[in-house]
Amino acid sequence: MFDVKSIKAEHKLLAEYTYEPAKLNRGYTDKTLYVNIGENQIKEKNVSKEMKEKFIGGKGYGLRYLWDATKPDTKWNDPENEIVIAGGPLCGITQYPGAGKSLVVTISPMTDLVIDSNVGGYFGPFLKFSGFDAMEIQGKAEKDIIIYINGNDGKITIEEAPLEAIDGHVISEQLTEMYADNEEDKKNISVISAGTAANHANIGLLNFSFYDLRRGVTRLKQAGRGGIGRVFRDKKIKAVVIKFKGTKGNLNNPADQSLINKAGIKLHKQIHDYDDVQCRMRQIGTANIIEVMDQYDLLPVHNYQYGNHPDTYKIASNVFVEKFITQGMPDGCWFGCSLSCAKAADKFEIQTGPYKGHLVTVDGPEYENAAGLGANCGIFDPRLILEANFYCDTYGVDTISFGTICAFAMECYERGIIDKEATGGLDLRFGNGLAQLELLHQMSRGEGFGAKIGLGVKKLKEIFVKEHGADADFLNEIGMEQKGLEVSEYLPKESLAQQGGYGLTNKGPQHDEAWLIFMDMVNNQIPTFEDKAEALHYFPMFRTWFGLMGLCKLPWNDTSPPDNHLTDEPAKMPEHVQHYVNLYNGVTGSSIDKNELILQSERVYNFQRVFNIRRGKGLRKQDAMPYRAMGPVTIEEYESRQERYDQQLVELLGYNPEGKTTKEKIKVMKEYRLDQYEKLTDAVYKRRGWTPNGVPTKEHLKSIGMDLPELFEVVDKHM
Amino acid sequence: MKVLMKNDEVCIGCGLCEEVCSKAYFKENHSSKSAIQVAKGETNEINVCNQCGVCIDICPVLAITRDKNGVVRINKKECVGCFMCVGFCPQLSMRQHDDYIEPFKCIACGLCGKDCPTNAIWIEDVDKEPMEKL
Amino acid sequence: MIKVNTKDFEWEEGLTVQRLLDKKKYTFTKIIVKINGNIINKEDYDSTIINDGDDVKVIHLLAGG
Repeated sequence: MFDVKSIKAEHKLLAEYTYEPAKLNRGYTDKTLYVNIGENQIKEKNVSKEMKEKFIGGKGYGLRYLWDATKPDTKWNDPENEIVIAGGPLCGITQYPGAGKSLVVTISPMTDLVIDSNVGGYFGPFLKFSGFDAMEIQGKAEKDIIIYINGNDGKITIEEAPLEAIDGHVISEQLTEMYADNEEDKKNISVISAGTAANHANIGLLNFSFYDLRRGVTRLKQAGRGGIGRVFRDKKIKAVVIKFKGTKGNLNNPADQSLINKAGIKLHKQIHDYDDVQCRMRQIGTANIIEVMDQYDLLPVHNYQYGNHPDTYKIASNVFVEKFITQGMPDGCWFGCSLSCAKAADKFEIQTGPYKGHLVTVDGPEYENAAGLGANCGIFDPRLILEANFYCDTYGVDTISFGTICAFAMECYERGIIDKEATGGLDLRFGNGLAQLELLHQMSRGEGFGAKIGLGVKKLKEIFVKEHGADADFLNEIGMEQKGLEVSEYLPKESLAQQGGYGLTNKGPQHDEAWLIFMDMVNNQIPTFEDKAEALHYFPMFRTWFGLMGLCKLPWNDTSPPDNHLTDEPAKMPEHVQHYVNLYNGVTGSSIDKNELILQSERVYNFQRVFNIRRGKGLRKQDAMPYRAMGPVTIEEYESRQERYDQQLVELLGYNPEGKTTKEKIKVMKEYRLDQYEKLTDAVYKRRGWTPNGVPTKEHLKSIGMDLPELFEVVDKHM
Repeated sequence: MKVLMKNDEVCIGCGLCEEVCSKAYFKENHSSKSAIQVAKGETNEINVCNQCGVCIDICPVLAITRDKNGVVRINKKECVGCFMCVGFCPQLSMRQHDDYIEPFKCIACGLCGKDCPTNAIWIEDVDKEPMEKL
Repeated sequence: MIKVNTKDFEWEEGLTVQRLLDKKKYTFTKIIVKINGNIINKEDYDSTIINDGDDVKVIHLLAGG
């Protein structure tokens, strides 16, 4: 395959640092690692009491360090921009599902804001066991390098690494083999890498590896959103490798192991008893909802024009279960994850590109991949979706952004806004899966139309207006990006709350703050603006907490206690919230309750908001959404669901659609829906303690214990 | 393969098996540290591993294997203490105690059977087929 | 007229829970049905008749938060 000895022989040592790995005490080492690859400097930092109290860990630590490292006008490719990787106090426990997450924070090339991404794989836990609550990487290297951390020996090196591959699945295998003493030792290695497309594309991602003992391959989990891989490659980092041998169930040195054991075993048992009849996460992972979304008119089809498609059955979850995804594996991305959603297709034969003919393990498909790469682009061939999924991962491309960008370009092509000349000869019709793959190959080489796709919808809109004379207003309506980040793969047109769930967010239109579509649109449980605002306060705050802890969101509500529906607030999963409170108290020895949990998040959430404002953004106008997310833009969209929309005009607006043209009806509908979004925005800002312009008030900052002078300095300018 | 067989009907719930087991492996007389456990009631129910091996496939680090006698054993050195095997045991016979960071189970040593006053438990060498009927 | 998740819905003679779910295209498997606050078991969807004026809740348990 490859001779890792000769690859390693070409390494040139640039810096070396030895240290005594700090032991964890109650979930923390209170030390962090700082690596400057421009100056070849490696040092340790102590975590202050205040930082620990207010920022907790994970994403909180990342934001705090990034704030201190950057200036308000620091760009993503400035040397002072950092990539900060941090677990959190709960990261690394093995008894509770989903406890091995790393949070990665940087200034994003897509949004020019802070991006944070939550990723599995073994890196986060190993970093903690190696003595560090977080790792900052700053500076830019001259030549391609790797950073290697040996957490047992207490040794960190920066090495020039000219011969390693760049594509994620190859370099992860190479470095795992290079640094493992033998086959058994491979499970003690985790590699962070990007891919060749991340050399050029702003939608570049990071792959975090873990070694799959049964399959005998390195598996990849992705820090996908916001272009962190682009920053990584711009710094000329090929990989960060960590090795830690000796994982046990109590390395966090918790205050009360018993509390953690009880919560963990209870959840394992619940998943064992009910997952088969609930979400089937162990069979197929997040892809279980492909057909559900289609049935409820929520699956994005043809660039979010429609919510379902007659061919969805070809990519339904059971197709992947029966034909592709290896069953019965403990597919956790960290030890103890009995939800095991990290599915994989083994010995999958690649049909195009540089790995044509290779038999590979494809991680996925996640729901987002099937929806974004598939339905949204009109592609309903499961093999092509898996192949695009594979190439996105190994080239280091965010599948969500790529799916949404590709869908946008396809719609522009079908509407004649761009033609074959613009696409370099590619016939970019909806459904052309081979053309989609060719875009990826071009992106990995930094060539052709694929390279432009890699810049994202926001830049593409500018290019189409400038070079092809497109109507800017129309592109702004159909281009599904906000703040520079592409919308993830749910159609939010009929759920105002979800429009807010996408729009009123810190980092852009992601559903990781809130997914309220069923609660809102189907169940009608949050009918008023105040109800929606309460949901858009609670859920984003609650979900932020996973990012402070180093936890995964999925075990919170992709498995339910059998009596959950009988509780006061089923949507919140009260029993699981109590598990989290117990886990936190068990590890740290604190005695928080579920309200204090929300407060911990609120501090960091508001800090992030002010961080964006400090960078000249983060205000109300950046929270507006493209109209495609809110209602029918085109005549075809309106007429495809005419009965629904006509009825709404009568019931909600008292407007008689009889005898009106579709164009007139679209206009009236649009005014109404835009106004609804403004009213929602008012209600949400008020609930969050912000001004009508979206700025956290000083009173609010004070009330949550974030009356920090550097925050006041920023918000004062907007009061 | 070696399995600890049981006959609930003749069990008198004296708890001697639990004492023997916990003393043998943890040097303590405590039923919560015994691999065999008896739920005492109108009819006593003996709960002990039947060596079915479901836990072998659940373990993320391949720390659970079947030995040459067919007994399912945990390699404590490799175990990362996730307790997934405890939650996924179909018999609820994989044990966990907060004093230890690894689970434990019956390894069909037979010590308890030797002391059982009513012969409610005994070691048998069964082949795989009747094993599945258990 | 009945209420389904607090919104008006046309009632018809002999409307069963299952028929209502079919009409609303509520195909999701994790749902709870309540009529006037009483939970209806899944095995009774076919036989349970909804009366005119009933308050029906069909709660989809895909919260997502």
